[in-house]
Amino acid sequence: MNFSSTQLIKLEDVSTIYEGEKIPAIKDVNLTIHQGEMVAVIGPNGAGKTTLLETINGLLPHTAGKIEVLGKDIKKYGPYIRRKTGYVPQEITFVESTPFLAEDVILMGRFGKIGLFKSPTELDYEKVGEVIKLVGIRDLAKKPIGKLSGGQVQKVMIARALAKEPTLLLLDEPFSNLDLNALSDISRKISYLHTKFNLTTLMVMHNIASIPPSCNRVILINQGHIVEDKLSRKMLDFPHLKMLYKVNL
Amino acid sequence: MILLPLNIITTTLIGASLAGIACSLIGVFVVRMKLSSLGFCMSHAAFAGAALGLALSFNPLLMAMIFSLTSALLLGPVAEKAKLHPDVILGVMFSLMLALGLIFLSLAPGTAMSSSAMGILWGSVLGIGKMELVQLGILTGITVGLIIIFSKEFQAIMFSRKLAEASGINTKPFFYIILFLTGITIALTLKLIGGLLIFALVVNPTSSVYQFFYDIKKIILISPLVGVAYCMLGILVSFLFDFPVGSSIAIVSSICFGISVVFSPRRKRG
Repeated sequence: MNFSSTQLIKLEDVSTIYEGEKIPAIKDVNLTIHQGEMVAVIGPNGAGKTTLLETINGLLPHTAGKIEVLGKDIKKYGPYIRRKTGYVPQEITFVESTPFLAEDVILMGRFGKIGLFKSPTELDYEKVGEVIKLVGIRDLAKKPIGKLSGGQVQKVMIARALAKEPTLLLLDEPFSNLDLNALSDISRKISYLHTKFNLTTLMVMHNIASIPPSCNRVILINQGHIVEDKLSRKMLDFPHLKMLYKVNL
Repeated sequence: MILLPLNIITTTLIGASLAGIACSLIGVFVVRMKLSSLGFCMSHAAFAGAALGLALSFNPLLMAMIFSLTSALLLGPVAEKAKLHPDVILGVMFSLMLALGLIFLSLAPGTAMSSSAMGILWGSVLGIGKMELVQLGILTGITVGLIIIFSKEFQAIMFSRKLAEASGINTKPFFYIILFLTGITIALTLKLIGGLLIFALVVNPTSSVYQFFYDIKKIILISPLVGVAYCMLGILVSFLFDFPVGSSIAIVSSICFGISVVFSPRRKRG
């Protein structure tokens, strides 16, 4: 598969240390992702997957190295980059009483893009309607977010990320805690939307079985280091898994 | 039953209405963003500040504002980064501010528990004059205006600060606007409701409305109406039984909150 030569994400010797910690959660990471790629980062719990994702979109400040996303320095242009980046956080749950309807949660994805001192227009509501239809959650739109199941919330979060018409999609454990049906459904939807909107998609996960078939590149991460890159889904074999998860298969 | 001149009653009712609107609007943020510990500390800091003002024969309102806003500025970063559990902040700051307030009151000229001192502690219908009405009116106007202008940013932050940040909103200024408005609202309503009870008017009306709605927009619209209703009922009880106005509002709003919990559709299964 051919991808654009445009580098959408570029990390050079990037390290991130959490406040009050001494050991970096990710260390000396070098990574380049081109426009149109669908990349899965695989690693065990605590490998630094979420840290990597949140460092890339600037939610976590990196402590060393340089990050360019969409051709701009994340330290200087964080809010600008985040307005063009769809982000689905790891296993987000809401208490039953959370006072927000699913369609409002999706609309909120566009708030940064709409900008200060402006209200959502007809166009914004149209875009929300489109993604609701695309993701197949019309029956959930008017429901309170706290009353939805884990899989339904995941779909709402994906719709929210897409509502802003992003260039880049970052997904943190998009298949965690989903049953097989929901996993397969959401995996197909991500692949479809990735192609339809010509997105660049970076997802992190710990379960190798849930890597979508359309994923063209797999990166292995452990203890904050990238240990393998440019693998294909089919190339993942027992030695890789043994190295990563320290288990006998 | 207490009998007061009509102009005092009118001033009190208008003041209480404005206090009900401002406090319950702020309450929507405080309750949803779990800032209760911080707000509670700020209300007691305002009480300590006003008491110091009395002790120094200096403007108690100004001192209440200074104390309340300083505590917001000091505790804001702590709450923001959640390095300390809110209960720890509450445990330390509540007792410290209450202790300081009582010491300052004991140093106030005249009798320690003069009517001004009691007013700061428990609130008084005589605590609101024309100047306070104007100040409360301006504050309520500013609060409503800011909520309308930055409606989408506030909604996004109340849903999830992290997700709001991820969608490209710079959340820090809005977080501090909320703290600033909380501090000013508490300081300005202190004389009517009292430093020990003001937080009831911040939390109870909004918490009652939260029992009935799943839509934050409706909660923002209805909370001020409920806040005004609780204040009116509280003042009625205060006039009827000659109770301190702050205590009456706190008791009435707590009872109403209890009733709203009992009748909340959230308690019904299925």
